[in-house]
Amino acid sequence: MYRLVQNEVVKMLKKKRLYIVLGILLVMISAFAYGQYHSLDRTREQLTRRIGMTEAGDWRKIAEQQIIDMKSRLDSPYINEQNRSTTRVRMEQLQYYLDNNINPVDISGARFTTRFIEQSIYLFLPLLMILLAADMVSGELAGGTIKLLLVRGVPRWKVLLSKYLALLLLELNVVFFTLLISVAVSGIFFGYGGWTEPVATGFQVAAGQLVTSSVVNVPQWQYLLMVYGLAYFVMVVVGTVSFMISVLVKSTAASIGIMLSTLVSGSFLNSFLADWTLPRYLFMVNMRLTDYISGSLRPIEGMNMTFSLTVLAVWMAAAIVVSFWYFSKRDILV
Amino acid sequence: MVGVFMNEPVLQLTNIYKKIKGKDILRDVNLSVYPSEIFGFLGANGAGKTTTIRIIAGLIKPDLGKVTIGGFSLDSDFVRAMSQVGCIIESPDMYKFLTGMENLQQLAAMSSRITQDRIDEVVELVGLQHRIEDKVDTYSLGMKQRLGIAQAIMGRPRLLILDEPANGLDPAGIAELRQLIRRLAYDEGMAVFVSSHILAEVQQICDTVAIISRGVILNTLKVKEIGKDVMVEWQVDKPSLAMELLKERWDIAAEQTGKNRVRAVIERVMAEDINQAFIAEGIRLAYCEAHGGTLEDLFLNLTGGDEIV
Repeated sequence: MYRLVQNEVVKMLKKKRLYIVLGILLVMISAFAYGQYHSLDRTREQLTRRIGMTEAGDWRKIAEQQIIDMKSRLDSPYINEQNRSTTRVRMEQLQYYLDNNINPVDISGARFTTRFIEQSIYLFLPLLMILLAADMVSGELAGGTIKLLLVRGVPRWKVLLSKYLALLLLELNVVFFTLLISVAVSGIFFGYGGWTEPVATGFQVAAGQLVTSSVVNVPQWQYLLMVYGLAYFVMVVVGTVSFMISVLVKSTAASIGIMLSTLVSGSFLNSFLADWTLPRYLFMVNMRLTDYISGSLRPIEGMNMTFSLTVLAVWMAAAIVVSFWYFSKRDILV
Repeated sequence: MVGVFMNEPVLQLTNIYKKIKGKDILRDVNLSVYPSEIFGFLGANGAGKTTTIRIIAGLIKPDLGKVTIGGFSLDSDFVRAMSQVGCIIESPDMYKFLTGMENLQQLAAMSSRITQDRIDEVVELVGLQHRIEDKVDTYSLGMKQRLGIAQAIMGRPRLLILDEPANGLDPAGIAELRQLIRRLAYDEGMAVFVSSHILAEVQQICDTVAIISRGVILNTLKVKEIGKDVMVEWQVDKPSLAMELLKERWDIAAEQTGKNRVRAVIERVMAEDINQAFIAEGIRLAYCEAHGGTLEDLFLNLTGGDEIV
């Protein structure tokens, strides 16, 4: 089994797909860091113009000003219900930070690294996982090489399992490299510190209101590990579903296409979640796990961490069962 | 090679039926291949050759029937059955982004008994030693075919399956391949199952040939015995007397095909006797011609000039 997994990893490395994925990561993280750096600068500049130089040097003043801005936005009669609840939660969160003397405005390298994964967990990173997983089986079907593997006195389930384990390993690598590149690149812009500053987590939303009674402060590094752990779990789920599609279809193009549209439909379906309960059982609308612990999620009744974890786990299990069942019985006609 | 008995088939197919998308692809296919036997599987394109091979290699499951390899049932003892098989199925697809050597190493890693020495040995055997470190992407079809043969034989299988192995090889390569197959069968005792649509090739190297057409095996025979019977046509002045003679003396049913023409299938060695007898009985023999006696005649005869399905 070990040698079979090794075979799959060697193939993956030789195909250079992994390097492309890592290259994309490097470019995107650099762009994101530059953008963050720029917008932070701009915010400061604007506030300096409005409230004066000395005031803007103090993060408490900036946070207070942001709260005032949000309040006036809430008072506007034109704001829709969705934005209103999101804004209200964000405002209350900011207030909590102020009350507890935690600086939410400045960005450190550690905070950027956290924020990057929060922003990419539902679309960008899953896309990279699809690139890796989509051709694992369909590529061999299209190339005819699957025949080489299945006529060698190794049962089919073992062949498939070795591919799946190789995928999990590679995904772990990609998530790990995301962490590494984020830290390295963001340090250039924001400095390499901020690992021990406190982060508030455990916000809960009840009836559209933020509940802060269960909030605890944890150091940034601990929070970061939590976030990356969740991200890996989400990537495993996406990878597993993508792997299943790759078993079911014969061409890599079709496999990537199906997964892409599924993911995109996820962000599209998000806007119906409050009124329509069916889509919330789809895996692609449950991928923003990090938002539950950061408290930045738009509050939806009935969707919480346990719910989303359960939905994802069920999808993953189902995808594994379907993959192995179909692969073991199918006729190979290529 | 313990426990191999020459009289026990390495490969046995019993009553194989297969339908794909509602179409009968194979109907009641039976065959046995013995150690040290080169078994030719002959059929037009679409006759069911590759489907049969896929069933033997476990890539598709028959609807009915049983495949046994080296005494193990393919269905219930897949691993032990397939461990004794080396094969090329249809085209020799390999990983294009790997070198020839990397391909072989990948596949060798899937079985426990293949060493690097053995890999080097088969590379030399198929004559690829100079290009083995190049990417398969740069190989010609003939070189891919050689690489395919190398991966098939490196595990010293008891059953070697070659699907259209001459595809893409030049005449010299085909001659080398023929020699290699003979060596594997007669020196190493492998059972070799070769499918082909090229008649001359089959007749040249095979011991036994099975002819398949539209999913049915029409005939299985020893190649040595082909050519024993020929169809002879005589131009004589007394056709009815000639036919009577054939019937009386040799119990051969002849037919009259023209005003002075008589035709019959006879054993080749009897032709002289018959001609002698005709003359002795006062039949004037204008000429006599023989048809057939090659695998091609037999094939066309059996399949009715099989069209490509």
